[in-house]
Amino acid sequence: MSRAGARDSGTALLFLSPLFVLVVGLIVYPFCRAIWLSFTDKLVGYPERFVGLRNYLYLLQDDGFHAVVRNSLVFTVASVGLKVLTGLAMALVLSVTWRWRNFFRGLFLLPWITSTVIIALTWRWMFDSFPGRGFFNSVLMDLGLLRSPMALMATAEGAMFAVVVANWWRGFPFFGVSYLAAMQSIPLELYEAASIDGASLWRRFWHVTLPGVKHVVIVTVLLSFIWTINDFNIVYVMTRGGPGTATQVFATYSYEVAFNQLRWARGVTVSIFLVPLLVAGIALLSRYLLRQENA
Amino acid sequence: MRDARLSRRTFLTGAVGSSALFALAGPAAPAVKKGTSLRLWILKTYVEPTNKAIEASASRWAQKHGATVTVEYFTFEDMQTKYVAAIENKNTPDVGQLETGAPARFAGMGQLLDLTGFARQVEGEVGRAPANVAPVTIIDGKTYALPWYIMPAFWYVWRDVFDKHKVKLPSTFEDAKKAAEALNRPPEFYGLGQSWNRTADGYGVMQSLMYSHGVGWTTKDGKYQSIKTPKMQQVMKWATDIYKEGIQPADTLSWTGSQNNENFIAKKIAQTSNGPSITFALENALAKAGDATERKKREEALANHLALPHPGGPDGRRMWGLALSFGIFKSARDPEAAMSLIAHLLSPEETLAVMRESHGQFTPVLDKARAATKEYFQKNENYRTFGRAAEWFVGTGWPGPVTAAAAEVQASNVLTDAPAKVIIDKWSVDQAIDWADKKIKEIYATLG
Repeated sequence: MSRAGARDSGTALLFLSPLFVLVVGLIVYPFCRAIWLSFTDKLVGYPERFVGLRNYLYLLQDDGFHAVVRNSLVFTVASVGLKVLTGLAMALVLSVTWRWRNFFRGLFLLPWITSTVIIALTWRWMFDSFPGRGFFNSVLMDLGLLRSPMALMATAEGAMFAVVVANWWRGFPFFGVSYLAAMQSIPLELYEAASIDGASLWRRFWHVTLPGVKHVVIVTVLLSFIWTINDFNIVYVMTRGGPGTATQVFATYSYEVAFNQLRWARGVTVSIFLVPLLVAGIALLSRYLLRQENA
Repeated sequence: MRDARLSRRTFLTGAVGSSALFALAGPAAPAVKKGTSLRLWILKTYVEPTNKAIEASASRWAQKHGATVTVEYFTFEDMQTKYVAAIENKNTPDVGQLETGAPARFAGMGQLLDLTGFARQVEGEVGRAPANVAPVTIIDGKTYALPWYIMPAFWYVWRDVFDKHKVKLPSTFEDAKKAAEALNRPPEFYGLGQSWNRTADGYGVMQSLMYSHGVGWTTKDGKYQSIKTPKMQQVMKWATDIYKEGIQPADTLSWTGSQNNENFIAKKIAQTSNGPSITFALENALAKAGDATERKKREEALANHLALPHPGGPDGRRMWGLALSFGIFKSARDPEAAMSLIAHLLSPEETLAVMRESHGQFTPVLDKARAATKEYFQKNENYRTFGRAAEWFVGTGWPGPVTAAAAEVQASNVLTDAPAKVIIDKWSVDQAIDWADKKIKEIYATLG
């Protein structure tokens, strides 16, 4: 390497070093520490001892954890599915509406920028059956469609429905705005050509729009899957994992085990269980995107 | 020694409103270096005046000794989170207010100073806590915290509703259920509101229910014992029948810590368990009443709400409650000053000053403080009941001592998840008991 090249490399390393320190300090170290803790019997306030796979084996046999896996998957798949559908609908409407488009785009972003705790509390109140406060119950009763309030949050299915709705409402604008950006990059000529060929609205959507936004859909689904399966605030504020354990998900269960039961290592293991699934998802996606790029 | 004599006289007379200058001094109040700085963690309750009164008391100590006290709050919600984070980050306060299970948990971790000697000194000055309360702070014969007060929950009922329908006020859980059946007028009004949620309103009542039926998951020496008994079946039957029989609002199981208060105050339910924050809310509402009509309405509500002790069971009345104490963390920069601060806070004068702002949710436990506060609890029938909280108190893990394992049983929510499994997942009572028993056994196998 020439002297100039070595000097450039040195300068580059110097500029990269703050980022390197940040990545190691804020991502690599905590992650490795979490992995290590999951192989220990660490209790809060006590030193850790290596116990191998004991925490993993315990969780595999724990019926509470089985429920957590089930609940997390239902919560995530339902929320992400709804977000994709409504995000697409939002983008389609905004892409053909010229008047007030920016106003509506801003309006639709409101849930995305509102504090999650406020969103969770608001939805909790809306589903509430307390007289005069629960929005849905009040409306249905005023319309004469209900005689007594419906206690949605007190049933397993109802509580899950409620947290899914709140999560969906908070997240769909991100999908909508992303899809809108992708749709606007589709050449208009493609639509014109399809129209001339006699393609219906549905066929234009299926054969032109959808392939045009496919990459964005995949990326948003993956990102949202990761955010949703790790979501804590909405479930904790709305149901605390209840009634019973009906809405207990990875994040709330991990918190309960680590902070209330003081079983730090087991709590960490609950979260670590997700990592292989997420890593596989990210790897598949990266591979797919790279292949598309090369093609 | 002059100070000591003065303070003894103060304690003996229990004089209401004595000057803080005469507060505990002498042997129980170790020397404080000028300029000392302490961090004090206290529980922030819904009754804001109490929080302010504790802060003011700490300030009086600081002023007297030329020291500073930084008061930091934790709430019921983040109590565990804050302590766990502090312990793991080695950032514990000098003095911390501890709830029922905390002395056992934190002492086991080696976080708390052994205060046995200091506790004896304080006992000499202020007296002892009742025999059912003191063990909360004693672990393996050593005292790790000094008890200050009990914050119990009571069985709130609307007296006018009971009178109108000529229903007997409940003294047992069975009475409470029968009363609920008699008073039930759905969908406008329900006989009862008892949630098995993840708050003290859930697991606290579940423990009162279990202990009053003679069901405990430990032996007297704190070892695990099975709850797979006919008595526990009775407990679970009560806990689940109140849901099956439609005597509660349909959303009761999903209530948070405040929804039982709201439903009770809005007169949607006849009975519920709660701390005296209901009384605080009603007293506060009256104080803020605008016109005469509103005032009359609120006066009636205040007069008609009645706090009873938790109902008893076939084995007596045992009320689970929060026993708040003070501990000193080993990380304390100046343990002597920390002891002095605790001695100051525990003195009858200071205790009285705090209690006066508590709207009944603060029941002192040390002998002389209790004697000094007797007059306060004569205010009315509800306050007379509040004043007796320590009599019925039992800690987590009855009949054994409060241990880290017992505290974990409570924290793991297994006690309230068991009835929820019957109500929500349609398990049988026996299945739910087997499940809970297995979980408890597991906890004791690793911690017990």
